[in-house]
Amino acid sequence: MRILKSWRYPASWNIFRLDDRLLLILMAAIVGNCSGLAAVILNRSLVAMFEWLHHLRHYWWVFVLPAVGAALSSLFLDKVVKEGAGHGVPEVIYSVSRYGGLLRFRSSFSRLISSCLTIGSGGSAGPEAPVVISGASIGSNIAKFFSLNDRQRVTLVGCGAAGAISSIFNAPIAGMVFAIEVIIGEWKSVNIVPIAIASVAGTEVSRILQGNQIAFSHRLFSIDLIDIIACLGLAILTAAASILLTRMLRSIHEISGRISAPVWLRAAAGGCAVGIIGLFLPVVLGEGYHSVRIMIEGTFSQGLAIVALAALAKIVATSLTLGSGGSGGIFAPCLVIGSLVGLTYHHSLVLLWPSVSWVNEGCFALLGMAGLISGMLQAPLTGIFLIVEITGGYEVILPLIIVSAISTTLCHYIEPASYYLKDLVELGHLLRPGTDARVLSDLNVPEILERDCITVNQNMLLRDFINIVKKSHRNYFPVENEETGDFMGIIHLDDIRQYLFNPIMYDAVVLGQIMDTKVEVVHPDDDLSEVLRRMDANRLFSMPVVINNRFIGLISKATLLDQYRKELMVQTSH
Amino acid sequence: MDHQLFHIFRNNPLGRETLLQSIYFCSKVGASPVIYIPKHAKFLMYFENDVVQIDLDNSYLTSPETALKHATELVEQGGMKARFLEPKHYTASTLPDIQTNFDFMCCPRSISDLSSKIGLGYIGPRVRRIVESARFPILITSPVYKKWQSIAVFFGGSTNAVNALKLGFRISRVSGLPLDVYTRVEKNSRESYEKVIKDENLEDEMGLYVNKWHFFEKGLFEDNLYEVPHDALVVLGAYGHGLIKTFVFGGKMEKIQSTISNNLLIVGPYYTSTR
Repeated sequence: MRILKSWRYPASWNIFRLDDRLLLILMAAIVGNCSGLAAVILNRSLVAMFEWLHHLRHYWWVFVLPAVGAALSSLFLDKVVKEGAGHGVPEVIYSVSRYGGLLRFRSSFSRLISSCLTIGSGGSAGPEAPVVISGASIGSNIAKFFSLNDRQRVTLVGCGAAGAISSIFNAPIAGMVFAIEVIIGEWKSVNIVPIAIASVAGTEVSRILQGNQIAFSHRLFSIDLIDIIACLGLAILTAAASILLTRMLRSIHEISGRISAPVWLRAAAGGCAVGIIGLFLPVVLGEGYHSVRIMIEGTFSQGLAIVALAALAKIVATSLTLGSGGSGGIFAPCLVIGSLVGLTYHHSLVLLWPSVSWVNEGCFALLGMAGLISGMLQAPLTGIFLIVEITGGYEVILPLIIVSAISTTLCHYIEPASYYLKDLVELGHLLRPGTDARVLSDLNVPEILERDCITVNQNMLLRDFINIVKKSHRNYFPVENEETGDFMGIIHLDDIRQYLFNPIMYDAVVLGQIMDTKVEVVHPDDDLSEVLRRMDANRLFSMPVVINNRFIGLISKATLLDQYRKELMVQTSH
Repeated sequence: MDHQLFHIFRNNPLGRETLLQSIYFCSKVGASPVIYIPKHAKFLMYFENDVVQIDLDNSYLTSPETALKHATELVEQGGMKARFLEPKHYTASTLPDIQTNFDFMCCPRSISDLSSKIGLGYIGPRVRRIVESARFPILITSPVYKKWQSIAVFFGGSTNAVNALKLGFRISRVSGLPLDVYTRVEKNSRESYEKVIKDENLEDEMGLYVNKWHFFEKGLFEDNLYEVPHDALVVLGAYGHGLIKTFVFGGKMEKIQSTISNNLLIVGPYYTSTR
């Protein structure tokens, strides 16, 4: 019976009581399998949908297909599961930052269905971000079911994301690095080990169900020094493309938000525009993996102008799909745009220096993918490991590192926050573990409230007040209205210093005459970071906390910093 | 006066009744109402181990231009100062986060479905999730504003029932209203319930606050409920018993909520007394 009762509380089992790492590894394996399975389901659903709709592709009206898909996707998210559009990765990071990784259960399936509708019908988006939120939500809800704590839940959210990326790309290291670099933002063994296990589990699920295939295999590249030097230019070009994609995505999202049409209609309009572009440049449609394969193999037959145009068109199509309300991620579009940019760069090099023996164009396509992923995510390790794993091209590691590092640096210089983090940074919601903002966000005013204050009233004589001061250890004394109890002001010991040595004043001065009425007050709901900023700006050491004109206590900088230190120790103790 | 009751305002006659209940409750327990006038049809409440998305029915968004005025008038008529909650954080641009550090929350029986489902016997799934996750008790109001003159605590011996009883003591102490305890005797004897009180060191409070401890030993529980005064605030625990206690609302709870139309104050499994 006891076993039955405690099955939902595994953290209380003797085997896990001393150290929860074993528990996390066990849970990580479960989460990795589930998220890996979710990724396989989406992958198979997309393949099925492509096949199902394939016979319609030769009709003239095919351009409406992405519109129908985007509208259905939008309606599903808005009306059925009542979630917002988009890829959901910022939502995962936000939840990890602020709420210990709590995610809604519905997120574990909602984006899978909506992105299947968007991408399967030809929308320019990728399935990776939807499987990330799905996997993360699975991790969060498994943690919730087993009543794990916040730190364990955050780790399992990372495990879910890692398992999903590992499964969909058959790339365990990339999944692991993505989860730590982008989602959790904290490189600690307590996270790394379970996330590695989840990555392995997710990859194995994918290999068992879909076979062990490298997504984009290619021929062997022979890279010379001249090619490595040329990579510098490619890094600049991919950084420019990343910035353009980031800004266009946000611009179209903002424009779309200002249009007072139903959300499904906006998504349909975006989808329709993508369909029209796709009539002329089919490479922009769908996830685009087939085009990436051709480009890496070096058999993409188009010339410089068409390739460059296709890169621009794919940027526009992705922005239209995701910015107007379609559902999907930016990983796959980044791979397509990156390979098109790489190809454009290669064609330009050949045109400018035809006598130089450049490496095969497929190599530049591959490097372009790494540059774009690194630039968009500002996560160079994810870009490097992802491309190495999905192409099996370890021989390109040196130029890969150069392109990824430079692209990330340039993008960070121009856009200090990545595409995933930009909104969160602007709203002050990105709270990485161990940072000042994160520590303060985990504290609140009621936690540090000092209630043992002595209140006085405005009619009290200075003599009576001095008697109170003698018995008190405090420097601040809130003044309340004798009749209504309303907060009126505060008296600091400094305020009475000038009267202390003049006994004549003791019976001549009442507190109402000397109290400070222009007091900065705090409300219990105020953020402590803001309270601390006000204390610093006004050189205050204590502030009264007031609700509905009633004084309820004081908060002091000393207590705040004491709690801050304790919280910091808790957050950094593992 | 620093206890806070969270109220989601619905700007229609039904919402007025509910706000009046909240104001009356606040006046009795010494709390102040914190009113949220929704601007979006959904919001999130992040509890310690759960996140609940509240999908409001459309009636919550009607006539936004008069909502603030109506709510302010009602609160001021109740002799209180209105305080309105503005969400500070958003999970998505149209999905605000509402804090959960309140002392009480007022809910209608259904928050996400049409107002037609406000009758007895139905408590919506969102309200159940809030009860299940919240650290504060939930006030589920009767459809029409009704003052209460006494407190009725249902005590079945579980941990949640003990918490409900302690909450009843607190409200009785603050409001000065008489408190009656009701127990349905089923498998256990009267003595076993008394032993729970003894084990919890609540004998003194029982003597101090409880007017009468009623034991229902015969008849149907639904019939027994007729003895509960129509103008009593009913305090009870939910999700109290058994292996699957966090999944099931509770048999007694279901019968009570579907039989009597009193205001209910429900204590969930994560309830922790504040002060």
